[in-house]
Amino acid sequence: MEVGLTSTIPVEIILAAGHTPVDLNNIFVVSPQAAQLVRDAEAAGYPRNACSWVKGIYSTILQHDINTVVVVTQGDCSQMQAMIETLADHDIRFIPFAYPYDRDRAQVKEQMRRLIEALDSDWDAAVAVQERLRPLRAKIARLDEMTWREGTVTGYENHLYQVSCSDFTGDVERFEAEVDGLLQEAFGRTPRSYRARVGFVGVPPIYCNLYQCLEELGLHVAFNEIQRQFTMAPALECDLLTQYQCYTYPYDIFARLEDIATETANRKLEGIIHYVQSFCFRQIYDHILREALDCPVLALEGDRPGGLTGRDKLRLEAFAETLEARR
Amino acid sequence: MITAGIDVGALTAKAVVLDFDTGRPLGRCLMPTGASPEQAGETALAGALEDAGLEADAIQASVATGYGRGAVQGVDWRITEISCHARGAWHLMPEARTVIDLGGQDAKAICLDEAGWPLDFEMNDRCAAGTGRFLEVMAAALDVQLEELGELAASANSAAALSSTCTVFAESEVISLLAENRDVAEIAAGLCETIAQRTMQMTNRLQVRPELVLCGGVALNAGVHRAMERALGMKIVVPPEPQLVGALGAAILAGERAG
Ligand SMILES: Nc1ncnc2c1ncn2[C@@H]1O[C@H](COP(=O)(O)OP(=O)(O)OP(=O)(O)O)[C@@H](O)[C@H]1O
Ligand code: SF4
Ligand SMILES: [Mg+2]
Repeated sequence: MEVGLTSTIPVEIILAAGHTPVDLNNIFVVSPQAAQLVRDAEAAGYPRNACSWVKGIYSTILQHDINTVVVVTQGDCSQMQAMIETLADHDIRFIPFAYPYDRDRAQVKEQMRRLIEALDSDWDAAVAVQERLRPLRAKIARLDEMTWREGTVTGYENHLYQVSCSDFTGDVERFEAEVDGLLQEAFGRTPRSYRARVGFVGVPPIYCNLYQCLEELGLHVAFNEIQRQFTMAPALECDLLTQYQCYTYPYDIFARLEDIATETANRKLEGIIHYVQSFCFRQIYDHILREALDCPVLALEGDRPGGLTGRDKLRLEAFAETLEARR
Repeated sequence: MITAGIDVGALTAKAVVLDFDTGRPLGRCLMPTGASPEQAGETALAGALEDAGLEADAIQASVATGYGRGAVQGVDWRITEISCHARGAWHLMPEARTVIDLGGQDAKAICLDEAGWPLDFEMNDRCAAGTGRFLEVMAAALDVQLEELGELAASANSAAALSSTCTVFAESEVISLLAENRDVAEIAAGLCETIAQRTMQMTNRLQVRPELVLCGGVALNAGVHRAMERALGMKIVVPPEPQLVGALGAAILAGERAG
């Protein structure tokens, strides 16, 4: 059975129950009809000023006939919660998952236990899946290292493979084979030269050509913050419960700030692109981020799926010039 | 070395021919961009060359900037308005640490380091409210010449409060104020306030340090200039030809890149 997810959750539990995890974000954003999916949701009554990710996921659930969805009701956003409520008349089973704001261990455990119960899964089996995934997550960590240390993996590849770790594209074996293939190919590459090294922080972009544009501008994306969090690689040695406590995205901003600051120094990032989604509460974090970081920060706001606007491109190009001038 | 800077903006195309070694502009040209940015760039450069009394082959290095920079043919480099305005303003005033460019369609604020390189910048997003185009629409609604708007605003005893920040809605707000028989000068002052407030919002994220240089066509509007000084609590310098600052910066960067 396919189990949809609206955000990263303990995927080990889904896999342990023998189900196929489907990250609805990924299906939506790579769809050639992504823009139409957003319009479909608006035709169904969604307001203009709701997040496009939420609208896209709404339409994706209907289009793909997905009838079991794990919804992150706390730690992602309340727009998702409202979204599932608009689907109340459909025969879809929603399983809530709430990350506690203070990352309280007992509460995280309770949420995982409830997910296990809802999916008829099993804790020990989930731990076994975690063991199975460990070498794969380690390979992804290696891929990340090759992005920033060696420069042989592109920022786009880094984004794509890391963001896919929320559901391993539904097929762990096939995904791992693809990762192996990329690693092998990348070992033979010579690193490309670039104008500046940047980090990408914030939710994954809704744009289809962002990484391509950055590459054309000579900006090497040597850090993808949230995508890296999706890989759980920073908690590679931890037990299953701790892994989801270390995961920074669903909790407060402060662990994220620490992670970003550490990696900015480690990876010698010269600037940060802070991606924000239109109508998302996370836009407010831009202010905190700027105060905390001492490298230039460019806020990039995306609304609908598709390509970057001329204005976005101008901002990015000027950012590249600014970073180059600082060298 | 003789260099050229061509700035094809959303509303106007500007070109400056520069004696790079002395830093002295030899010729300049300002004209409407019209429908073809490529044509506008070419014509503006020809105009600046004529003004300088030079032939095209005198130009040893050139840079195109502005939103139409990609369309301008035959230039050596294309650089964004951000870098060009920073360079141009710094050339005119080496003490400049903040540059605000209010053009026809875009507003930009740039922080500079001591050497005149941009450290950080901000742009208005997705909306022409707070730019020259906004003022043009409003001047038409008030039935006054754009050039008079600033002086008219200065003559007002108070500024009409305009709540809307969107060009379209602000226009209907202006029309209702006129219908209420509000003084035209007060409405003009309110519009200048609106521009200043919008610009403030944009600069909030930046560290605005003196000297502050205001350029772009809207800098010619004395009402906006004064409203911005009040809003920022800081003296603001407007160079003599504020609309040409980007083209001047482009000509300087051309010389620097050519070495
Ligand atoms: N004499 C004047 N008095 C008042 N305002 C003026 C005057 N001349 C031009 N402007 C203003 O300048 C604006 C055009 O500015 P500018 O030439 O810097 O724009 P641009 O470079 O074409 O646009 P952008 O930089 O947004 O692409 C006009 O919209 C008008 O509001
Ligand atoms: S981008 Fe923001 S508003 Fe949109 S789904 Fe994610 S958290 Fe919610
Ligand atoms: Mg301009």
